[in-house]
Amino acid sequence: MTIKAWESLRNRCATCARTTLVGGTVVVALLVGGLLMAAGAAGLAGTNTEKFCIGCHEMRENVYAEFKGTIHDTNRSGVRAICSDCHVPREPVPMLIRKMQATFELWGHFVTGVIDTKEKFEAHRYELAKRVWTRMKETDSLECRNCHHADAMSSELQSERARSRHAKGKAEGMTCIDCHFGIAHKEPEGGPGPQELKVGNR
Amino acid sequence: MSLKRTAVVGSVLLLWAGGAAAQAVDASAAEALAKKSGCLGCHSVTQKKIGPAFKEVAARYKGKADAEQKLHTHLTTNPKVKVGGAEEEHDSLKTKNQADIRNVVRWILSR
Repeated sequence: MTIKAWESLRNRCATCARTTLVGGTVVVALLVGGLLMAAGAAGLAGTNTEKFCIGCHEMRENVYAEFKGTIHDTNRSGVRAICSDCHVPREPVPMLIRKMQATFELWGHFVTGVIDTKEKFEAHRYELAKRVWTRMKETDSLECRNCHHADAMSSELQSERARSRHAKGKAEGMTCIDCHFGIAHKEPEGGPGPQELKVGNR
Repeated sequence: MSLKRTAVVGSVLLLWAGGAAAQAVDASAAEALAKKSGCLGCHSVTQKKIGPAFKEVAARYKGKADAEQKLHTHLTTNPKVKVGGAEEEHDSLKTKNQADIRNVVRWILSR
């Protein structure tokens, strides 16, 4: 607080003890700070909802349309994933970084229209897929593991084929996305797939 | 052009078009059947997965006269295949309809 502000506060409440003024200021500051944080958190949470993501037609008409009907959308048990479950990290710092990167998506939507037609989207499909695959390889398919815990996979309930594939994959240091791609959205035509992308030590 | 010549050229074109139409691939039907049969769990169309990509299969069979026959057999008789050093049975297409099987075979060979 500046000296001037303090003096004006003093003038307005000449009879208050200094302690009261300081205490009051601190309480107000905490309240305002708290409200701002709550509003920020609510805003961020809002940007993680399915409704928000498909607010943009680029998403709604392309990747969301493809996602509908896939196993992550509808299945026997009704347990489903939404956009942010797979594309936004849950950890606070990586999440905030991703949200800051997402401002470029606003630029693309409102200013450049980089994927605002079906044709433009298809032209960029591989690039978009590659970004996601790269990120997943870098993080050992972190978002998959939000729900799919390898240790909790019952070997009795998995098929013989799944068991042997997963054992082999584990032995070879593979990550989920190396095989499980093109599940929620259409595969791009052409270009190296996750297994062929050299990312870090994978 | 004389009438006779027109007739010959016309017939050839018609036959060719008819043949082409008969060979035409219904890509969305092929994809749907492949998906239903679980093919895409191991095979991507262009990327490397567990089995070869369909693009790679097409390249392997390119120019071979018995390509369709060989692939048809492969997709209907559960032959043994090598996956990661171990042998296992290859799955079949989940249909008995020969036209649908042919469609998938041609779709793969044209990737």
